[in-house]
Amino acid sequence: MRSLFTIKSGGAASWTIRVVVAAVLAAVMLWVPTSGSDSLIEVCTTAFTLMAAALSLNLLLGYAGQISLGHSAFFGIGTYTTAVMVTRWGWSPFLTLPVAFLVAFVVGVLVSLPALRIKGVYLALVTLALGMVFPQFIKWKKLSWLTGGAKGINDTGFKFTKDNPTYEIFGWNPWGNLRGQNVKPFYFWVGAIIVLVVYLICRGVVKSRVGRSLVAIRDNSTAAAVMGVNLAVTKGVVFGLSAAMCALPGSLSAIRTGTVTADTQLLTVAGSITFLVIMVVGGAGSLWGPIIGAAVYQLIIELTGDWTEPDAIPALFRPFFGWSQTAPGGGIFAIALILLMFVAPLGLVGLWRQHSVRLCKVVPKPAGTTTISVMAPAPAAVDDTHTA
Amino acid sequence: MRRKSARLLAVLTAGTMLIAACSSDDDNTDSTTAATTGETTAATTEETTAATTEETTSETMVETTEPAAAGWAVNTDDCIDPAAAEEIIEGTIKIGSVMPLTGDSSADEAFAPVKDGWLAYMDYANEQGLLGDITIEASVEDDQYSKDLTPGAVSKGIDGGVQVFSGIIGSPNNLAVRDTLNEECIPQLNNLTGSPEWGKVADFPWTTGQLVPYGTESKVYAKQIAELYPDGAKVALFYVNSEFGQVYADAFKEMAAEYGLEIVDEQTLEATDTAPPTSQITSIADKAPDVIMAVPLGIGCVTFLGALAEKKAQNTGWTPATFITNTCASSLILSAAGAAADGIYTSNNLIDITDPANAALPNVVTYVDYMASIGKSDIASTATAGWATAENTVAIIKQAMESPEGLSRASIINAARNFSYTPALGRPGVELKSMGEEDPFLAESLQVLQYDAEAKTFTNIGDLITEFET
Repeated sequence: MRSLFTIKSGGAASWTIRVVVAAVLAAVMLWVPTSGSDSLIEVCTTAFTLMAAALSLNLLLGYAGQISLGHSAFFGIGTYTTAVMVTRWGWSPFLTLPVAFLVAFVVGVLVSLPALRIKGVYLALVTLALGMVFPQFIKWKKLSWLTGGAKGINDTGFKFTKDNPTYEIFGWNPWGNLRGQNVKPFYFWVGAIIVLVVYLICRGVVKSRVGRSLVAIRDNSTAAAVMGVNLAVTKGVVFGLSAAMCALPGSLSAIRTGTVTADTQLLTVAGSITFLVIMVVGGAGSLWGPIIGAAVYQLIIELTGDWTEPDAIPALFRPFFGWSQTAPGGGIFAIALILLMFVAPLGLVGLWRQHSVRLCKVVPKPAGTTTISVMAPAPAAVDDTHTA
Repeated sequence: MRRKSARLLAVLTAGTMLIAACSSDDDNTDSTTAATTGETTAATTEETTAATTEETTSETMVETTEPAAAGWAVNTDDCIDPAAAEEIIEGTIKIGSVMPLTGDSSADEAFAPVKDGWLAYMDYANEQGLLGDITIEASVEDDQYSKDLTPGAVSKGIDGGVQVFSGIIGSPNNLAVRDTLNEECIPQLNNLTGSPEWGKVADFPWTTGQLVPYGTESKVYAKQIAELYPDGAKVALFYVNSEFGQVYADAFKEMAAEYGLEIVDEQTLEATDTAPPTSQITSIADKAPDVIMAVPLGIGCVTFLGALAEKKAQNTGWTPATFITNTCASSLILSAAGAAADGIYTSNNLIDITDPANAALPNVVTYVDYMASIGKSDIASTATAGWATAENTVAIIKQAMESPEGLSRASIINAARNFSYTPALGRPGVELKSMGEEDPFLAESLQVLQYDAEAKTFTNIGDLITEFET
């Protein structure tokens, strides 16, 4: 396939592109909390929550091939760990994040035990059961002294007052003054940092020996075992790590809204399905896939949120959605997902990989130095700039 | 292979989402009735029963407000921008709400009529010039019934200039934005839930509730059961296993001993369960209670009554009195249960607009005609919750306009906390009252009712209970 441009991986052009992309991203990340509207900041924070959850699922499903429909439970473990520690024992919400990470890790490892013996649909069913049982467990009367039972827990976030000090960097305050609407930049940064941490953990794993073991397990576990991969340890660790990472956005949910109940959508199986769909639309087995998937999901929901009356729907879409009495965002996303499965089964990132070579071909480094980029059918050599 | 499984799962998921999204197109009465859930149903039913006083003459539905009494006044010193809170509102007032419009299909189906009723009254108020020179600009944002999305929806409203929020649905959803709205000093009026949280005037002065507090409703039932069984009664509790059901159940259990009631069994139902609660009813029947106190929601009302009727048919000597919360007190819901609903006790403080005896009442005619004029006749009976919430909100704003300080966010919350109003669709004697910290809840009067399945109407049991109105 002919390309308009050909650049060398690791060369000056490649680095220039990386720097430009990073600069644009940094500019956007600084502009949103300091100059964007409050609702835009809030939407971004919600998107961060979904990004981190979908990234964690991606490590398990996209890379290790272990299907999980129970990630809402890990999300919930984060939510409730923070809520309980803040309200019962007076911990700072920030300090609960590492605890939530550890608790979810342990639970994740335990849940991985069935994964040592079963796989595919059977594993999906086991994890689905976990997702279904979790809200019931939280509402269990004998645990209500701790979890608040069906009533949930209130006041689970920061208690800011008007006497809070404001933290400025040479007169510039990117996190707001921590009151009212102006607390949103603060949560934006908390969300962004959680996504960054989860991304870096995933990247570190994927690009390491463990990552290659995961891919080997996914593609042929027997062959992987023959090659010396310890299936039990690898599966256990990746399950635990994925669960632990999913707990972080769960904690953010408790901190941000200040209230938790077991019936919250993201704590039920509906949450697991949302994470799964976001991951698949963005691109399973790609580090950027869940990030892009969450952004697109949130964008569609926001753009179609007002389409509750036929007159509010743009003329182009009115014939398709004018019949709906409610905003059709979820339906549109579902249709997009079905279409994507036919034209781009590897998601939006896969689609980009397939077609970006027409624009720019990257000559890879010599064999043995390239990182994992084998998820795509690889119509042409693709380097890290596009894959991670 | 594994990747294929993932893809298959994703496609199945997409199909499920698509079906869920498309299902909202079905707006026939039965499905709307069955899907009507949660706190909104409570609101709906509170709008739909009983008779309006003959002296409710107002064509405009807000003439019965009384001037604000000099009483509780909000302190704006703690506001982020005190001047903005006291700034006089002129020309247009922007009123916002947050309701589930997408997401879980049963939720958005149930709440869509509430939104329509709420918006309809705002339009009606503008057409009738109820606020004089002030024009209402109303908007509803979507939070998918997820409290994680409510802050974003409220932010969108505030960015759009909303000065008052009204009728936000769901206790967790309202709690998720309570801090923000109180710090911003933006009135959060008439929350469509009966949570006791809305009574914390000192901590959250800018937040008020619309519905009768769940604890008060529980007291009304306990009192009525004690009257039916003066020597004490064995009671079985059946409730939906959510924040809503738990608050009801806890309140009932707290006061049971006071009224000589013994709780002999406690069974729960998940809000998402659609199957008849047969095993729970069997457990209850084994204890042979005199009374069943039920707190179901939406379709749960119908399945509970069906399973109970079946069990009673099997145990011919067992005829417990059945009390069911007013979340199910809509004649539309109960008629779906058929004969199984006959004789059940419930409560309400507003009239049933579907009762032929109320059809000629002026305010019912006004409401029904207006809904017909905007092509919403099909949902008129389930849209009353939104209509009445908007009516109360407009009445509060009107009272604020007439106050000495003029119309501002501060005067609006002052009016809401010193409020006295006869709702247009209220039962005789029902008055919405609040008085600062002394009386933080607007609605605390209820009429106990008994349902006649054949006539599809409610009969008053005793007088309107007003003793819990503080």
